[in-house]
Amino acid sequence: MTNIDQFVSAFKAADKPQFSPETVKLDSVAVVTDLASPDADRFHDDVRRFLGASSAPQIRIILGERFRDVDELLREIDKTPTDLICTHRNLHTQAPEHPYSLGAYVDVLTQVSTIPVLLLPNPHTTHDSDFAANNRDAVMAITGQLTGDHHLVSFAAKMTAPTGRLYLTHIEDEMTYERYVETISRIPAIDTDVARTEILQALLKLPHDYIRSCRNVLHDTYASLSIEEIVTMGHHLADYKRLITEHNIDLLVLNTKDEDQLAMHGLAYPLVIELRSTPLLLL
Amino acid sequence: MNGLLLASTEQGVSGAITGLFATMLVGLILCLALEEKLHAKKSVIAGIFTIMCLLLGAICGILPFDHVVVGSHEMTPANDVQGYYVVDTDAEHDHHDVVIDGTDDKELAGEDLELHVGGHRLEMPIYIPGINWGVIAIILGSSLFVDVTSKSGLFTWVAIKVTKKSGGDPRKLLFAYGIMTVVFSAVLNNVTAMIIVGSLTAVSLEKLDRKDKLLGFLLIEGLLTNVGGLLTLISSVPNIIVGTTAGIGFVTFFITSSPYVVVSTWLTLWMGARLFGVKKLATQDEQDRAAQLVASFDENDGIESWGFFWFGTAMLVLFIICIATASVLPGDIKHLGMGFIALAFAGLMLIRYKSEVDNFYRSVDWDLLGFFMALFVVIYVMEHALVLATIGGILETVLVDITRETAHVRDTIVLLIGSAGFSSVTDNIPLAAMLASILSDLGAPTASGSGTESGLWWAVIFGANLGGNLTPIGSASTLVAVTIIHKHNLHMSFVAFVKSAIPFAIAQIGLAMVYVLLFLR
Repeated sequence: MTNIDQFVSAFKAADKPQFSPETVKLDSVAVVTDLASPDADRFHDDVRRFLGASSAPQIRIILGERFRDVDELLREIDKTPTDLICTHRNLHTQAPEHPYSLGAYVDVLTQVSTIPVLLLPNPHTTHDSDFAANNRDAVMAITGQLTGDHHLVSFAAKMTAPTGRLYLTHIEDEMTYERYVETISRIPAIDTDVARTEILQALLKLPHDYIRSCRNVLHDTYASLSIEEIVTMGHHLADYKRLITEHNIDLLVLNTKDEDQLAMHGLAYPLVIELRSTPLLLL
Repeated sequence: MNGLLLASTEQGVSGAITGLFATMLVGLILCLALEEKLHAKKSVIAGIFTIMCLLLGAICGILPFDHVVVGSHEMTPANDVQGYYVVDTDAEHDHHDVVIDGTDDKELAGEDLELHVGGHRLEMPIYIPGINWGVIAIILGSSLFVDVTSKSGLFTWVAIKVTKKSGGDPRKLLFAYGIMTVVFSAVLNNVTAMIIVGSLTAVSLEKLDRKDKLLGFLLIEGLLTNVGGLLTLISSVPNIIVGTTAGIGFVTFFITSSPYVVVSTWLTLWMGARLFGVKKLATQDEQDRAAQLVASFDENDGIESWGFFWFGTAMLVLFIICIATASVLPGDIKHLGMGFIALAFAGLMLIRYKSEVDNFYRSVDWDLLGFFMALFVVIYVMEHALVLATIGGILETVLVDITRETAHVRDTIVLLIGSAGFSSVTDNIPLAAMLASILSDLGAPTASGSGTESGLWWAVIFGANLGGNLTPIGSASTLVAVTIIHKHNLHMSFVAFVKSAIPFAIAQIGLAMVYVLLFLR
C-alpha cells in the first residue's frame, strides 16, 4: 500500500454512511377510490384495518365522483394537508382491460406529488382484496441504492408492526456486474480475477455496513422490531418476486422518484407493474 | 575501501578528464531537476548517466578494473608491517598487488600504501563495489516491512483514531494531522507519511465539507514531512547517507534532532493556522455536526485480522528498538548493520503472505532503488575522475577549516545554506552522497573517529532535508503533496507553491541555523 489511490480507497472504505432516522408523520390519510358505495366504504375500512395502529385518526375518503381528471384529484387532495394517499391502480379504468398498467391517475400521482402513495391491490378484482387481513408483520424495503436512503428506511420501519420483521434488502444487478467484469477481462492491465472478487465484495459491503447502522439506530426506537438483512447479487425482478413469496411479505416499500427523469424509477416500475397482489408503498 | 585502488589509479587523471566528468555531473543534476519536464523517471535519468560515465571512465582509463579484496579484517600501513612482500605488477593497469609472506624484507618500505591483511581477492564488476549496499538494504527492507505492516491496518487505524479524536474541528485536525505527519515521517519515510496523511486529509475534509482548506492542509503536511524526516537516522535517505558516514548512532541522532523537530513543528503549525485561516469551530452546533460526521469513520474497517494487527504493532515497536540499538547489539551481530535488520524484519512480516509475496515485490519502489544504485555508481566514477576532490578543493577555499573539532561559524552557515539551496532545486540525495564523501575525504571529525562528530555533518543534514521545502520539486514528499493537490483539481503552480512555502521554509531553515550554531557545533 504505497500509492495515493490505495490509501484514499482504504479511508473511503472506512467511511461508512450512518443511518440518520427521519420523523415520519402519518396524521392525515386520504383514501382515493373509484368504487361506489358500499364497496367504497368497505375499501375504506380495509385501509383502516391495514394501517392499524400506525394510522392516524384522520382518514378521509375521496370518491371517484369528485374527480374526473388528474388535476381535479390533485386539487381535492390539496384541500387538506395529507401525509399519505391510499389508493388502487386503474382508477376510472376497467382493470381487466389493462392488467399491466397503473392507470393515468397513479402514474401521475407518483410523478408530481411528493406525498407517498400506498398502492393497494385492486378491489375490482375480488381475489386481491384480502390484503386488509395482513397485519404488516413482514415489510420489505427495496431500492437500487439502499445506502444512505434514510427516508426509505424510516418509512419502512414506521410501517412495520411493532413486533414484526423489517427486511432491508439490496440486490445488486448481476447482469450489469457481469458486463463490467466481461469488459475488464478484455483489459490486460487489470487482473480479471482480482477485479471480480474485489468489486463484488465492495458492492455488497456498502449496503451491509449501512444496514448494520440502521439496525443499531432503529433498535433504540423500535426495540421489538426484528431487522433482517438481505444483501445479494441477482436479478432484480425475479429475485424480489422470489423473496416476497419466501418471506410472506405484507408490504413492499420502494422509491419511485428519480431526480434524473420524470418517469418512475427504473427499478420500481417493473415491480409495481408485476406485483399486483402485494401492497406497495411508493415514496 | 579504496585506499589502495585510488592510490594506483588517480595519478594519470588530467584536468580535461576531470572537467569532462564534472560537466556530466552537472548534466545529471540538471536532468534530475527537470525530471517532470523530461517525463523520465529518476532511475532512467541516473541509469543513462551511469552508462555514459562507465563507458567514458573505461575509455579514459580512470577506472580500477582490479580484483576486489574481501574478508580483510584490517587495513595496515605498509611501513608497519614486518614481513616479506611479493609485488605482483599489473602492467595493463599500472598498479601493484601485494602479498605478505612472513620475512623481514621490506621492498615497499617508505611507500604510502595501505595493505589489506588476510583478505581474498575476487573478480567483481566495476559497478558493484561503488554501490553503498547498506543504504540499499535499509531502503528495500524498510519499504517492504512498512508495506506489509500497513496491510495489518495499523496505520489507517491510527490515522482514523486521530481524526475521530479531533472531533472534526479544523484547527484540532490541522494540529493532529501535523503531528501525525511528523511521527509517520520519522517512523516510516517521508513519502509514505505524506501518502497516508494526505489521503486521509482529502477524504476527511471532503466529508466535513471543508475542501476550501485542503490546499493549506496539504501544503503544511508536505512541509512537515521534511521536518519529521529529521527526527531519526532512518527517516530520510540523506540522514542515512550522511549520518552513517559521520558515524552518528540512531539514539544520538534522535536525541540531537528531536528538540529542533518539536519546536519547528509547532512553529509550522502555528504559522499554517494563521496564514491559511484554519480556525476553531465557533458554535456547539457546528462542533456536534462535525463530530457526528467524523464518527462515521470506522477505524476497524481495514483490519482483516486482530492477531495480525497486534503482531504488526509489536513488530513495528521491535523494529524501531532494533534499529535504535543496532550499533550496540551483542557480539558480531552489530556488524550486520541496519540494512540486515530492515531486511530481516521484512522477511518475517512476509511469512504472513508467503503465497503472495510477489504482490509486495511489485509494490517496491524499484525506480527509487534503481536511482540510488545508479547514483552511487556515478559518484564512484566521479571519485576516480577526481571531480569530488576538485569540489572538495573548492570547498576548502570557501570554508575556513573542515577538520576543526568545533566547526567554524562561517563553515556551518555556508554548508547549511548551500545544502538547502541546492536541495531546493534538485534531489537532495546526490547532494548528500557527494557532500558525505567530500567531508569524509577532507577529514571532517566523525563520531566513529574522534568520538564527537563535527557540526558540519549536521549542517548538511538539516540543509539537505529542509531545502526541500523551498520548492515543490525539492523533495519527493512535497511532490506527493502537490500531486494530491492537483488530483483534487486545486490549482498550485510552481511559483504559487514557492510563494506559499517560503515563509515556512525561511522560518525552519533560520531556526535550524540557530540550533546548529548554538548546540551542535
